[in-house]
Amino acid sequence: MNCKKVQRWLPLMAGSDLSGSKAEAVKAHLAQCPHCQQEYEAYVRSLESAKEWLEKDRQDWEEREWQQVVRKAFEEKETAASPLAPWPFKRVWAYAMMGVMAVALTLIFVIRPFHLREGSAQDSEMFARTQAQLSGGTLEASQQDVVRMTMVLPESGQKIVWFFDRNFELEVKE
Amino acid sequence: MWMKNDDELVGEVLEGNNSSFEVLLRPHRQGLLNMAFRMTGNFEEAKEICQEALIKIYRYLHRFEKGKSFKSWIYKITMNSAYDFMRKRKRSEDIVESQKRQISGASPNPEQQFLNKEIRSKIESSLRNLSPKEKAVFLLRDGDGFSVEETSRILRCSSLSVRTHLSRARKKIRIQFERANLGLQKEVNNEL
Repeated sequence: MNCKKVQRWLPLMAGSDLSGSKAEAVKAHLAQCPHCQQEYEAYVRSLESAKEWLEKDRQDWEEREWQQVVRKAFEEKETAASPLAPWPFKRVWAYAMMGVMAVALTLIFVIRPFHLREGSAQDSEMFARTQAQLSGGTLEASQQDVVRMTMVLPESGQKIVWFFDRNFELEVKE
Repeated sequence: MWMKNDDELVGEVLEGNNSSFEVLLRPHRQGLLNMAFRMTGNFEEAKEICQEALIKIYRYLHRFEKGKSFKSWIYKITMNSAYDFMRKRKRSEDIVESQKRQISGASPNPEQQFLNKEIRSKIESSLRNLSPKEKAVFLLRDGDGFSVEETSRILRCSSLSVRTHLSRARKKIRIQFERANLGLQKEVNNEL
């Protein structure tokens, strides 16, 4: 192992954060390289000083302030209480449910119109046939009791069906 | 004296015993305050962060998974609150104003402030050069003694990322300390 590689690992070595095999390799190098050993000691010294200073300069709460902060946590929960009960399970279940709902909505709003479009083609075919029968005379107007007309909106797949009795004739009973 | 463990205390709080909440957090109150203080460099802001964190801890205590480390969980919440706070501060204030507040609002106790002035200036100058992530990793690992794995869970990142940031932070800290020592040596030489 060369000095360049060892020096890259020295900051972690100084805090005992290197894994076993790497730590052993670095130790072996340090035993034979005074320059790297010196560097390592400098890291250890600075880290120890930093830890010592962090420990010395620790702040603490005044008891009164601490009690206030704790009390406020209780009060905030009461004011923010939702009328709905909190989700009692792990959050992942909420995400799973949202996913299932998203799939269901996709099926309803995206796939169903395609299905309706297939149906609408059949309806329009029937309408065209009825029209052709009426205009071509294959079906006598007087024989026709009811005419069904279906309109399908291609954008939304919505169906509108009209029924016309007696070929639009007004029945007058005398 | 028999001490209740964290899981038991959490259970008591969830059953409605609010006094257990204070008992649960008391051993960590100093650690949380200092973490927030080192992240922001301002004592009043650190208290605000802790207040926000405590509200969240109490509100979401039912989500704490028993058997896991309560300390890691509350540090994670406090760290997130600190990040949120710093993000908001960055948006709403200019840097000059923030630096002014860092100098003026360091400690509530003037006597303690005087005693720790030298120590604080060294720590502050060292930490100021670290990025927020490097600072967080350094404080959790070297300040509060969390392991690399615990630190990675608190900061929601990989162990590799923690090691990388920790390495950078220690390098910067070392450079700062050496500079500070050189400065002191120069002052001594000038006096002689």
